[in-house]
Amino acid sequence: MTRFIINRLLYFVLALWLLTVFSFFLNWLFPGDVITNMSGIRVATEAYGEEFALRGGDTNLFVQYAYYLQNLINLNWGYSLVTQQPVWLEGSRTFMATAEILLLALLLALLIGVPLGALSAAWYKAPLDKTIVSFAVGGYSIPVFWLAQLLILFFAVNLRWLPITGQIDPLYLIEPQTGSVLLDIALSDSAYKASAYQNALAHMVLPIVVLASLPAMLLLRMMRNTTVEIMQQPYIKAVRARGLPPYRVVMQHAVPNAMQGILQQLTFIFGLMLANAVIVESIFNWPGIGSWLLKAILDRDYPVIQAALLLLVATTLFANFLFEIYRGWRFPIVREERYGSA
Amino acid sequence: MINLRASLPILLSLISIGCSSERELPEPLQKGLVYCSEGNPEGFNPQRITSGTTVDATAAQLYDRLIDYDASEQAFVPALATEWQALDDGTRYRFKLRDDVAFHTTNFFTPSRNLNADDVIFSFNRWLDSTALYHPVGGGSYPFFTATGLDRLINRVVKVGPHTIDIVLNNADSSFLANLATDFAVILSAEYAHKLDIANQPELIDQQPIGTGPFRFEAYRKDYYIRYSRNPDYWREGPDIEHLVYSITPNANKRMLKLVTGECDVIPYPLVSKLRSLNQAQIEVKSEVSPNVSFWAFNTQKKPFDNPQVRQALSYAINRRAIIDAIYYGSAEQAESVLPPTSWAFREAQINYQYDPEKARALLDEAGITAGFEMTIWAMPVQRVYNPNARRMAELMQSDLAQVGINVRIVSYEWNSFRRRLSRGEHDTALIGWYADNADPDNFFRPLLSCAAVATGSNRANWCHPGFDQILLQAIATTDTAERRQLYRSAQDLLNQQVPLLPIAHSMRYQAQQDFVTGVELPPYGGISFRRAGKELAQ
Repeated sequence: MTRFIINRLLYFVLALWLLTVFSFFLNWLFPGDVITNMSGIRVATEAYGEEFALRGGDTNLFVQYAYYLQNLINLNWGYSLVTQQPVWLEGSRTFMATAEILLLALLLALLIGVPLGALSAAWYKAPLDKTIVSFAVGGYSIPVFWLAQLLILFFAVNLRWLPITGQIDPLYLIEPQTGSVLLDIALSDSAYKASAYQNALAHMVLPIVVLASLPAMLLLRMMRNTTVEIMQQPYIKAVRARGLPPYRVVMQHAVPNAMQGILQQLTFIFGLMLANAVIVESIFNWPGIGSWLLKAILDRDYPVIQAALLLLVATTLFANFLFEIYRGWRFPIVREERYGSA
Repeated sequence: MINLRASLPILLSLISIGCSSERELPEPLQKGLVYCSEGNPEGFNPQRITSGTTVDATAAQLYDRLIDYDASEQAFVPALATEWQALDDGTRYRFKLRDDVAFHTTNFFTPSRNLNADDVIFSFNRWLDSTALYHPVGGGSYPFFTATGLDRLINRVVKVGPHTIDIVLNNADSSFLANLATDFAVILSAEYAHKLDIANQPELIDQQPIGTGPFRFEAYRKDYYIRYSRNPDYWREGPDIEHLVYSITPNANKRMLKLVTGECDVIPYPLVSKLRSLNQAQIEVKSEVSPNVSFWAFNTQKKPFDNPQVRQALSYAINRRAIIDAIYYGSAEQAESVLPPTSWAFREAQINYQYDPEKARALLDEAGITAGFEMTIWAMPVQRVYNPNARRMAELMQSDLAQVGINVRIVSYEWNSFRRRLSRGEHDTALIGWYADNADPDNFFRPLLSCAAVATGSNRANWCHPGFDQILLQAIATTDTAERRQLYRSAQDLLNQQVPLLPIAHSMRYQAQQDFVTGVELPPYGGISFRRAGKELAQ
């Protein structure tokens, strides 16, 4: 297991390192001054000379990269060219805002997709299965932005149940300290915390449901197919032969084994959700990293574009790393596949 | 299975959280107001900008002026100055200031004294005196004051006593007070500026603003919100609401939806026709004729447009009523004069130029214009409050003019080069307009139609009429309103007869709000004000 973790960790660090190299060279690919692109400090300002020295502007590429890495690790990510706010501060907030809906949406997707998939497999080719599958195919085919409009129209405009933009009504005066609105409410000294939580949760419903819809349907289909496949294995036949009812066969023997395949797909699903988060955040004005990146691209805000890309890719890599470790720990067969022994 | 069963109630409870009856607002929402503005402000000092978005966001909320303009009374009323008088034949104005006006106390500044003459002198010198310490801060450009010529009109601002100042003018100008009452002539704190200067952060004066207005600055997050809180030390009656939030929503559709879902209390520039079709009983749409005019300018330095008879003929040839219906969807009224009817100097048109193609043809024949004559209409490429679609308007005019045998070519360029070429006089005729900054009628005449404006390029008709210029100069040299009204009336009669430009429409400005919002009126001039804002919620 240790060997497995070290191996995975090395891959993770290597990928991260390549990412910083790429992001470092982006500063040359963007038009304009390299130091300005890195730091967000414009050439004509007084602070530029200082920044030039700090980032080794007059040295060679390797030394500059070393400085770049040092600044990156020290969280000195420069300033936005548009707002002149520290990039790390805004970046960490938007990151937390995205993480908040992303994790909740993933949880929701698992809670919907896995049980429905198992249910479908248990009643394979029965009417229930067919209903669920057609529902899944429908859900899978709806584009995210269209589903969002549909839900907005129904739940927000017609029923007036749910709000459509932002994390919380700004009149609650919750300061974005961490970026995650639930944490921010906890940290705030608001006199209306309960009401603030209600308001924030109401704001979350639509983005989370929309974000969860596609992965939920994907998980459902994967779960159903894997479970059906496993149902043909000899050991399932054996438990059936012992007279276990089909329902318990699925729940106790097929599902746990099917979960292994599902976990393997989670990395892929996570990446997909991150991509969808960009759209969902723009639709619902969620102050997350996706909408941050989009606005930065429109404004040509190079330090922010870089930071947002770094954060997005690093998150995907880290999630990948975590899933693999978990799988390696939970299912020894994964480690064996790679090394031939545990 | 268990997972599924467990997840359903969570989902349902999540959804049900949002369900509350419409009128029961949680306490923080009762005490505050959300205004969904259409864009980010450029800064928090209206002296430095001209964009309406920034004026709406800052001027009336954070600051006060020496005097205010009361549109319903059509008179100047005291604000920070309690009284004022014109001395030395109107070349020197003396203002007495209130002594009970406190600047904002915030977490970044605590004032040690009330407003006095030093603050006023500091605020004026910021844009007036290029040697002033704060003049170059933020770029040193003050477009409103340059455009209105106020920086050339005012010679100096002198302190007479702790609460008395004199403003010395280079010459008498009766539009002076109107300019002082605009959103741009705000009063900043000299003490705060001094403190920032010592801290070597002068640029913060426009980013973390301190004023005397009804609201204090709290926070600004670009693309998301501006937060203000009520100024408890306000020197006159302040708003009912404790907090004011500008929720920044550039997308007009989303603004409308947010109003429907109750996330916005007030929105500017609503999609009026769509909003009405949604049929929401609790939403109120307000409109106000705003001080603008769209017009068709004839380049009077080109033949045959130098002939007033040709200009009259062309005015008869187009169906303004139909054009206005097609372009503004009922959100504008036909213009009789360049002045909107809300102005005290307004004069009804003596010749109405009702659509009459036969009369137009007859006049053209008289002027020797034969069928098949060709001309250009320059249509501006952008949307403006006064004209949402100039190109479409030009197309409609094209077909009207074809009826009287005139072939029209429509010309358009990118907005900046369009204006540059117009200033050079390359056009035959042009569709453009004007938006007034203040209530003084002079703002509609001198920048648009004086001989001086031909030289600066803002006279789109290139019309220089010495008699007309004489009337304008007489009108600004006197402060007697009755006399001025008489002069402006004769000026309008002259325009009506000479038609260097044909006024087309005064369009309305719209605002939509929840019906429980009170005291947020559309101002005829300048930016929106929340000074009297409140919420009337049934208990």
